[in-house]
Amino acid sequence: MSVAPARPIRIGGRVRAAWKAQSRQERLVYQLLLPVFGTVFALATIPFVLAVIRAVTSDSRGFVGLENFAQALGNPLLYESIKQTAIYAAIALPIEILGGLGIALLVHRTVRSNVVRAAIYIAAMIPIVIPQIAVGVVFRLVYLPDYGILNVLLGQTGPSQPLWLSSPPLAMIATASVDVWQWTPFVYLVMFAGLQTVPSESVEAAQVDGATSWTQFRHIELPYLRPLLLLVLFFRIADVIRVFDHVYILTGGGPGTTTEFLSLYIYRIGFQFSDLPQASALAVIVMVAMTVFYTVVSRFLPADRG
Amino acid sequence: MRTRGRRLTKVATSLLLAVIAFVFAFPLFYLIATSLKTKADLFAPVPSLFPPAPTFEPYASVLVTRGFGGLLLNSVIVGLSATILAICVAFAICYPITRLPASPRLRAFVLNWALSLRFLPPVAVVIPYFAVIQAIGLYNQLPALILVYTIFNLPLAIWMLRGFLDEIPLEIEEAALVDGASRWYAFRTILLPLSRTAILAVVIIVFAFDWAEFLFAFILTATPQAMTFPVGVQGLVTQFEIIWNDMAAGGVIAILVPLSLMLIARRHVMTGLTFGVIREK
Repeated sequence: MSVAPARPIRIGGRVRAAWKAQSRQERLVYQLLLPVFGTVFALATIPFVLAVIRAVTSDSRGFVGLENFAQALGNPLLYESIKQTAIYAAIALPIEILGGLGIALLVHRTVRSNVVRAAIYIAAMIPIVIPQIAVGVVFRLVYLPDYGILNVLLGQTGPSQPLWLSSPPLAMIATASVDVWQWTPFVYLVMFAGLQTVPSESVEAAQVDGATSWTQFRHIELPYLRPLLLLVLFFRIADVIRVFDHVYILTGGGPGTTTEFLSLYIYRIGFQFSDLPQASALAVIVMVAMTVFYTVVSRFLPADRG
Repeated sequence: MRTRGRRLTKVATSLLLAVIAFVFAFPLFYLIATSLKTKADLFAPVPSLFPPAPTFEPYASVLVTRGFGGLLLNSVIVGLSATILAICVAFAICYPITRLPASPRLRAFVLNWALSLRFLPPVAVVIPYFAVIQAIGLYNQLPALILVYTIFNLPLAIWMLRGFLDEIPLEIEEAALVDGASRWYAFRTILLPLSRTAILAVVIIVFAFDWAEFLFAFILTATPQAMTFPVGVQGLVTQFEIIWNDMAAGGVIAILVPLSLMLIARRHVMTGLTFGVIREK
């Protein structure tokens, strides 16, 4: 019971020294992180604050409260653009996801040669890395009347040829098809990579048990793919909200406002009607909505944020 | 029976893959074909699939006659500056959260913030930036684009870089630190050389993204003095509608740069695009 009392003190000293070293390192974290991160955080956040200020003020009357928000939300064209965006997504996303998944399964099951797989991998990357503006140019040459290659191949060059970019239902299909062309390969690459993570032992065991191709997919591969499908879905939804470049080149939002998707609508309010207060209100609404969307979905994303 | 069935499936799937490949490749083929046509070829009653007299004239016309060479130069200046800035900032942010005992909450906050930026539509962001940039006199100036590009490609740079840095064992630097080296020395002589591949991959992919950007440049510039190449290509489409060969040549040039870069960094493209979820071995 009479053990030297010096011991605990020495431990205390050592703990304190370790704590000091630890906290010096932790201080270094903040010393290094704060200036740079603080600056970019501010640069990325200040515009949001300014958008809010711009949205609640008017040049002539000062503070106007929520007037601009009321105006923005009272514009029937806003809901029209949301509807068009939803239709665009409803056409493009299922085809991209099911198509990409289908091709991934097809290649995974039937193509054994590593050379062919690598070739498909490279080929699938090409549409993804093409700038959206160039994609717009590519598809102008496909869908234009008279010179467009689609009508030429269809043998339709007369006065009654389908006007892919300037008649209402066709313009929607044309713009959505471009999305499908560019992003199905992306879904393919993600799904194909996902299929490679399925342990071959479980697949072989299932095959020995006589599992059909469908049950093998449903019960063995799908559980591995589910988080990736969610990831793809979230990224694609975020991308559909930003769709601008190729549509601007192909239809400019027309005919009428039939392909005026959300981003094009906000652009038109802000820069063609030069109604920056209303556009700022819209920008605030969209930024808040996307931040909420991100906060809700991010916990389901497989990305490791730890 | 069984082998015949299998062979039939094999033929059918090969055929299906060939059809899919054709659908995806054909529009690009027609773009290249059009970019090699002479002006006279454009007015043939039925457009030809193969240029009857291939010429590089449209490329000269776009780059020299229309002066798009200058836009190309702007794109390169903006892309290189924004990429170098982004990689430096990304390093300054990733170093403390990967190499030092940063609290997990701080680390998660930084990474989450970066990823959430990825979800903001550019059109919503550009509206307030437009006002600020006009107010501080940077409208139609390259520095405005460099600033905006740096910030909005940071998520990509941060996520890619932290993925790479996480893979370099801490022990390597610690060994040097125990031997009395300063952190800066250990960073310069150990971590930096070890992350050479990482830096190259991030630089290539961020540059390709900067190169392809359209909306910010479209709104924040007005004259060829600051316009980037994609803005010029858009002008070709809307103003000179009939001159398809020039338009196609502009498209091909716009594609070539990111395409060749991505082929070099092909192992890292998907990692970047999926924020590290997909990893190539």
